[in-house]
Amino acid sequence: MALGYLIREGFSGFNRAKLSMSAAIFTITIALLLLSSFAIIFLNARSIVDSLRTRVEMEAFLLERVNEEGVPAIEAALETVDGVESVRFVSKDEAAEIFKQEFGEDIRRVLKFNPLPASFRITLLPPFRNSDGAASVAEQLEAISGVEEVKYRKDLLEMLDERVTTFLGIGVGVGLCILIASMFLVANTIRLAIYAKRQIIRTMKLIGATRAFIRFPFLLEGIIQGILGGLIAAGFIYVSFEYLGQWVSVHLQEFVQVEPLAYLAILLTGMLLGLLGSAISIRRFISDTVAQ
Amino acid sequence: MIELDGVTVSFDGQQVLTNLSFSMKRGEFVYLVGQTGAGKSSLMRLLYYDLIPEAGRVRVAGYDSSNIAPKEIPFLRRRIGVVFQDFKLLDDRSVYDNVAFALHVTNARRGDLKKKVLHVLAEVGLSHKRNQMPQELSGGEQQRVVIARALVNEPAILIADEPTGNLDPASSAEIMELMTKINMRGTAVLMATHNYDLVKKYPARVVQLKDGRLQEVDMRAPKKR
Repeated sequence: MALGYLIREGFSGFNRAKLSMSAAIFTITIALLLLSSFAIIFLNARSIVDSLRTRVEMEAFLLERVNEEGVPAIEAALETVDGVESVRFVSKDEAAEIFKQEFGEDIRRVLKFNPLPASFRITLLPPFRNSDGAASVAEQLEAISGVEEVKYRKDLLEMLDERVTTFLGIGVGVGLCILIASMFLVANTIRLAIYAKRQIIRTMKLIGATRAFIRFPFLLEGIIQGILGGLIAAGFIYVSFEYLGQWVSVHLQEFVQVEPLAYLAILLTGMLLGLLGSAISIRRFISDTVAQ
Repeated sequence: MIELDGVTVSFDGQQVLTNLSFSMKRGEFVYLVGQTGAGKSSLMRLLYYDLIPEAGRVRVAGYDSSNIAPKEIPFLRRRIGVVFQDFKLLDDRSVYDNVAFALHVTNARRGDLKKKVLHVLAEVGLSHKRNQMPQELSGGEQQRVVIARALVNEPAILIADEPTGNLDPASSAEIMELMTKINMRGTAVLMATHNYDLVKKYPARVVQLKDGRLQEVDMRAPKKR
């Protein structure tokens, strides 16, 4: 069966062209290290931003006249608002306790009465953790009878939105540049390796090999190179973050985390780089069945 | 088997073959002679569709250059054995693998494949060198590997471009014996050469390529003074 033969041919580069095989694997490793370092920094920065957003809570203060019996109805109304994730009631007493914890003074003792209103602390669903989303939720909350006013860190959300848009734009731009550069780097290295075999490819064509027959081993070789490059890059990153990180600073891990899935992504990206690099490079050499 | 009809080929605006017609029957042995640069190689490349004529048509083994789809070209090439002037051996694999490659291309079964390769290597007298790399062989031996590769698919036509071109007389004689033997079995052979001694020693039909045209030559006729 020819498939077995083609698969053996794909692996034969380890024997027949050790140098160009190593060069391709090395290039893929470098490209993946560039890409994945960038992706890790970018994704971690995003997760920091996301964690800031989750800390943004809304507080809906109740009118003074709302008594304890009125609370469940308001709570139910709050929960039906689109974008609300959770609702927690803070009574007047509890508000005074929080005040005491934060400022060290018991306001009830100082003023002889409790001026703090009861409120609901509301967290938002992820799609609403931005200035527009929060504003629309706040507007709906304020319309509920018994709610006097809704407060949240509007300025923080606006700042985050603005910076994140810029950050995302720059990040995606830089990421694309790195991706394109990596593809060029890999495709070029593979092209050199295939160029060295152009006579062999021509001979194959002249003795009746179809394009697919010639192409297959090269693509397989590209995939193998990609997987090996991916394994090396993933191993390098694992060692860097798991061990070097601890050695440099224990705190590094608080900020930078590499998910186990990321290693799979590195491997798959390597495979894709190898495959695409080979596919692009081999095209040129097989395309002309008839020599001009 | 082979039929060229009004074929014209030119490179860089210069006509190499002009309105050329030629035909060859099943089992025939034909020498193609002519000076270096006369277009012998171009004529041979036409036969395995490595060149497509700008005018006229080339018919080989049931295929027609005027309407063949690029996809079909590999299948035509499998029906023709080609002995290239510059050998075109795959130098990254052994003698055995070079010959086997021509069979792998056709999806041959493994058992058959081994039997056929060993048989054809025995025929060209290279069984003992099957595990060597091409570059470890002499010119004559390499040429025999090329012939083995051309024959392993049992083609109806063998095209040989100067198969003795770079060989010493002894090796040339061996190659010629081999070519005659192949022809005796019914394979049509078209052999380009400019070695007239060989042509005299192993007589057959001779066509000469001159100024882009073909003419039959009677080698037995005395030269005119």
